[in-house]
Amino acid sequence: MSPRTSKKRCYCCPSLHQRKCLATNTVKLSSYKPGQKGKIVQICGDSDFRLRMMEMGFVNGADIEVVKYAPLNDPMEFIIKGYHVTLRKEQAADILMNEPEKAA
Amino acid sequence: MGDKLVLALAGNPNAGKTTIFNALTGARQHVGNWPGVTVEKKEGSLKHKGRSVHVVDLPGTYSLTAFSLEEIIARNFIVDEGPDIVINVVDASNLERNLYLTVQLLEMGCKLVIALNMIDVASSKGIDINIQELAELFGAPVIATNGKRGVGLEDLLDTTLSEAANPDSQKDLLSLNYGIEIEEELEKVELELQKAGFHDTFLSNRWLSIKLLEADAEISKKIHSHPDHSRIFDQVDKSRKHLSGIFGDSPEILLADARYGFISGAVKVSVKVERKDRVDISQQIDRALTDRFLGPIILLAVLYSVYMVTFQGSEPLVKYFELFFKWLSGVVSELLPEGLLKSLIVSGIIDGVGGVLGFTPLIAFMFLTIAILEDTGYMARIAFMLDRVLKGFGLHGASMLALMVSGGIAGGCAVPGIMATRTMKEPKERLVTILVAPLMNCGAKLPVYALLIGAFFSGSKASIMFLLTIISWGLALLAGKIIRSTVLKGPSAPFVLELPPYRIPTFKGLIIHTWERTWMYVRKAGTSILAVSIVIWAMMTFPDMPEERQKYFDDQLSRATDIFLKEPGVGDYFASYQDIEAFEDYQKHFEGKKRKELEKSNPRFASLAIAMEGTSSTVRSKAEVEAATLSTAQNYLNFKKSRLMLESEKQREKLRHTVGGRFGTALEYVTKPLGFDWRTNVALVGGFAAKEVVVSTLGTAYSLGEIDPEQAGDLSEQLRNEPGWNPLMAFTLIMFVMLYAPCFVTLVVIRRETGKWRWTFFAMIYTTTLAYCVAFIVRSVGLFLGLGV
Repeated sequence: MSPRTSKKRCYCCPSLHQRKCLATNTVKLSSYKPGQKGKIVQICGDSDFRLRMMEMGFVNGADIEVVKYAPLNDPMEFIIKGYHVTLRKEQAADILMNEPEKAA
Repeated sequence: MGDKLVLALAGNPNAGKTTIFNALTGARQHVGNWPGVTVEKKEGSLKHKGRSVHVVDLPGTYSLTAFSLEEIIARNFIVDEGPDIVINVVDASNLERNLYLTVQLLEMGCKLVIALNMIDVASSKGIDINIQELAELFGAPVIATNGKRGVGLEDLLDTTLSEAANPDSQKDLLSLNYGIEIEEELEKVELELQKAGFHDTFLSNRWLSIKLLEADAEISKKIHSHPDHSRIFDQVDKSRKHLSGIFGDSPEILLADARYGFISGAVKVSVKVERKDRVDISQQIDRALTDRFLGPIILLAVLYSVYMVTFQGSEPLVKYFELFFKWLSGVVSELLPEGLLKSLIVSGIIDGVGGVLGFTPLIAFMFLTIAILEDTGYMARIAFMLDRVLKGFGLHGASMLALMVSGGIAGGCAVPGIMATRTMKEPKERLVTILVAPLMNCGAKLPVYALLIGAFFSGSKASIMFLLTIISWGLALLAGKIIRSTVLKGPSAPFVLELPPYRIPTFKGLIIHTWERTWMYVRKAGTSILAVSIVIWAMMTFPDMPEERQKYFDDQLSRATDIFLKEPGVGDYFASYQDIEAFEDYQKHFEGKKRKELEKSNPRFASLAIAMEGTSSTVRSKAEVEAATLSTAQNYLNFKKSRLMLESEKQREKLRHTVGGRFGTALEYVTKPLGFDWRTNVALVGGFAAKEVVVSTLGTAYSLGEIDPEQAGDLSEQLRNEPGWNPLMAFTLIMFVMLYAPCFVTLVVIRRETGKWRWTFFAMIYTTTLAYCVAFIVRSVGLFLGLGV
């Protein structure tokens, strides 16, 4: 069976080995503070993870607003495409964003 | 289904699918399991304009990628059963993500009606949807609904039925254009399928090609069974490589991207969002409920109140149930003649099944509180707040849900809990969750706790239950940590969880939820527990005591009687054994109104009975009783006492001689340090079939072993009076029951889910070892502190 994930790895995005890396001038989602919002530039990780994220609405160009951090500082809560979702910081670190702006 | 129209409901979790299902089918629904798995399968029927419709509620999913068990079930149902029509319930306030599933359904070639649900929520958020436009873009009718209020459901059914009846509608499948490069490769794969002569009755070759390009495991398996598959897969591999080469990304991502492209285009055209500056109440509530300081305090308070409601709310009903079964076994033992049949029905069936069914109100209240937590949306917040803690133990936010279902809030079941772990993608974390899930306080352990707590800690039921929850969590986490850092090492997996808005649950929804789960519990008690009760009863009845021992006891008894009858003075009252029996009966009725009557009819017995009452607060004093009568009374009491001892010795020996007794006795060597005698051992062995059987077996063991069945109070009372039983013993047993080997149903599921006997045996052995150690520590510490002596 054909493998889902490619074995060659780029240092930042494992599956972008042949693509022009977009991970320049980006900020990790995990570094956003509550109340900040921005757009997704690129999601890193293997294709299983990225597909799962896409099904939940995490696609390039989507707006994300950080609502808050959990009482123990992890996971984080976001609003994306009008609904609330939670992710651990370590996954949020795989989502590369543009510079944050303050949410309205 | 013959003439019946088959209608499937599909949709994202939290889109209000269940509410629509309940509104459509009302009470005409039943819950079962999907074949071979323990995911709930809800089916119902409805009649609309003279047409009968069979409705199947598919599990809530975000997509049909076949990542999780729910997705596989939903997809297989559509693939294999080919429903006449599918209603796709879509959350209008969260359109873009919900439409991803819609696109996938249309791609499969489903005839679809889109229910644009929670339209009220959307409009209050300032989302204005052009329904006409949306319907045209997707090529399927769109109906605005509000499932909670029942708005639009008439219209939805009208449209669905007319759409289903029209063979020409939705003939052209929605065909997304994936772009030249991808389309070219899709065509090539399709051509190979065609060349191989592959043809599916329901699925288009285009859809199969898409799935093959996505490297979908289920569909690949399907094609693999085709004789000519090698050429097809050659093409698939080539195409996948080609596409990854051009785009630098795997095809499944490219296809998903294209779908989202189509959706966001459609949404841009048909949806207008007018930003309203309104206070989001749900978010305001959430701010308090998941607050850094307030959140955890509220969490603990909520969990604690679950117990308060469950135990105190159900208390009167539990009492009534107990009384009912006591009454029933009383009536039945009056009606039936002495013998094996009576013993089977009273001691085997009524005591066994009744012991378990008696807890039905408690279970129902527990399910009600869980339904409230789920339907309000608080359950997801529990996972949100506790993920950090679980992560530290090598577990996962999704483990939280699995552990909750298993009994994290006492009252679940490890079987669906273990099945729930299928949503977890990381094999290691999933395995750990499976292995520790049986340590939670499942619904079957509750009756055991309730029995022992009721008997020994009746003053502080709720706090003990709370303590037990904390202990089981603590030990499960500890076990998780240990397993994760020894047998299963490795990094942790992603955690993605939707946090649905807080909603006020509907009364109907709560009742249906509670009823369904309670009914499943009752059914389980009514069938498997019945069988187990009978087996256990047989184990504790056969083989009978050898004849010479029986004779020995009978001789002893009659000798004691003879000696008593020959005592000086006794002859005045009793001539034979029959007289003794007559007096026993007389004494039983010697009270209240009847007393005077009896006194007149038999003054002799009356004086003896009064003498027996001794110093008790009766009208007459001891002085009035003759000395001779007094000495006879004394003799009689001594005689009764020795008879009682003989009887109970006989019963004990009888029980010990049975299969169950021998097995339990053999285990005594091992369980001695825990203070368990053979009867407890038999109960624990029975509990391997299902934990609640511990209660019924204790019931059987103690009601068989005691002297006068009519004097038996309920089991709690009996245990309290039993020598060797004390709070420490009860607590030791509770700990053991909490932790020891999961019931065999759970083990079967573990085997199926892990695919390995190795892990099944591991689960059985490590839990029992843990149980033994913890119980031993509890007992030792207790004894050291001077408790339970």
